Amino acid sequence: MPITFKDVSHVYSAKTPYEFKALDNLNFSLKEGSFTAIIGQTGSGKSTFIQHMNGLLSPTSGVVTVNGQELLPNRSPKKLKAIRQYAGVVFQFPEYQLFEETVEEDVMFGPINFGKTKAEALVIAHQALTQVGIDASFYKRSPFELSGGERRRVAIAGILAIQPKILILDEPTAGLDPKGTRRMMDLFKKLHEEGMTIVFVTHDMNLMYGYATDVVVFEHGTIQVTSDVETIFDNKAMPKMFVKPHLIQLLEVMESFEKPLLKPVRSIDAFVQVYQSQTGEKR
Amino acid sequence: MKSLALGRYIPYSTLIHNLDPRLKLSGMVMLMVLIFLKFSNVETNLLMYGILFIGIVSLLKIAHIQFRQLFRQLKALWMMMVFLFVVNILFPFPVNPDWYLRVGGITIYFDSVIQTFYIIIRLVLMISLTSILTTSTKPLDLTYAIEWFLTPLKIIRFPAHEVAMTIAIALRFIPTLLEEAMRIMNAQASRGVDFVHGKMSEKIRAIISLIVPLFISSFQRSEELANAMEARGYNPSAPRTRYRTLVWKHIDSYALFTLILVTSVFIYLQWIGLNIVEIYASL
Repeated sequence: MPITFKDVSHVYSAKTPYEFKALDNLNFSLKEGSFTAIIGQTGSGKSTFIQHMNGLLSPTSGVVTVNGQELLPNRSPKKLKAIRQYAGVVFQFPEYQLFEETVEEDVMFGPINFGKTKAEALVIAHQALTQVGIDASFYKRSPFELSGGERRRVAIAGILAIQPKILILDEPTAGLDPKGTRRMMDLFKKLHEEGMTIVFVTHDMNLMYGYATDVVVFEHGTIQVTSDVETIFDNKAMPKMFVKPHLIQLLEVMESFEKPLLKPVRSIDAFVQVYQSQTGEKR
Repeated sequence: MKSLALGRYIPYSTLIHNLDPRLKLSGMVMLMVLIFLKFSNVETNLLMYGILFIGIVSLLKIAHIQFRQLFRQLKALWMMMVFLFVVNILFPFPVNPDWYLRVGGITIYFDSVIQTFYIIIRLVLMISLTSILTTSTKPLDLTYAIEWFLTPLKIIRFPAHEVAMTIAIALRFIPTLLEEAMRIMNAQASRGVDFVHGKMSEKIRAIISLIVPLFISSFQRSEELANAMEARGYNPSAPRTRYRTLVWKHIDSYALFTLILVTSVFIYLQWIGLNIVEIYASL
């Protein structure tokens, strides 16, 4: 298990009127090679949770284990850098963390911090930028003259360049247009297929259903449901406020008309294919 | 961010919290004057500081301010105390050159020690006093109070409302900017930046990676805010009423009376040259 949480609680501003229990006795273990979606309402503890995954926060009680390293209450862990490199976190709106003069320098910033030489970092930076679909014409440009979506991809390249084993993303598609969202998610899917473990926070049930393999549902600082994505909506414990994805709704309607789809699908493209072969229709 | 800084408003409902902010502001100024009064000799000074100390400690107690928080703040002054002590020893102005101590060729005058002590106790009292004001008064109420005091200056075309508005906005954005700074620090820490350890050059680089994005987002925010205000037709010179008005209550009058009394007594005693050694001797 790459990351495990055992009886983890986290309390902010303890013993003051601002005291807030963000995580409440939480147990969790991340599956290696999974594409895990974290869903939950605002304030349910998702962000605090992911900040424990790379040692930005330590639990106020309980133990978090990242790649064999233990994070314990009130103690700064010894090999923090190793943890940071093992689990790369991309925060919400990562485009605001760019600061270097050129795109490639900004992406090189991470690897250099983790002890790579400039020459090595440059090679890695170019690889990472290619991965996110930023071509060579952007390398020497200032990150501040790029569009929002491009900046976000540069920022994500900045995390990919530290070559993490696990990639953790906090709402990576917030504020992107549908096309940008799809490109972004397809990028993570590709990285997942190449063997990276991916964790992402989302509010979009369609994205969750279309891409994730596993789902973790947060409510009031605890994990309400852990499930694989196929059966998540059959789970009794699943809170009703999460609206089923469009695709599931569509399949249910088809079933109610007694014309069910014969093969399970997870994306609209797959749906169209199966539907066409099923009915023999071609457009 | 979530760690509680001293001086941040804490919503209790104590006697001090419920006082009028104008009273609290002027009261702070009055007590500040008392802290800087100098009496005829060391003994009298110490007695007066003792009285002030007890007074301010009881105010802290009434306002529910945690001493733990205060001590943590004062710990930051530790280096300054040492520095003051050294300066006072190296450049002595002994009133009483007969009282000294010789330590390894350095003459430490009693007056140097007592001078340092005066400065330290003044600093401690001042910090406690201001922390009473800011923890018991909403920043917005404080701005209203400042605006009220500046209003007479409107006669000489001093832009009292504009200044108050600027202060209010600045105060309003302190927590927002702190949160933003925290977010950026987290993001950069995920890229391997260490804000605490490391060489000086690394630290400078770490700070740059925080400052640049923080500046950019601040400029962005201020522009957005200006647009939003203009979109709603904000005109700084327009006469306006207020949703919450400051109401002077009976208790405020009593408090003001007490404050004026205490201040007058102190100033009177200083003016007549109170000397407790003489008084003690004559008894």
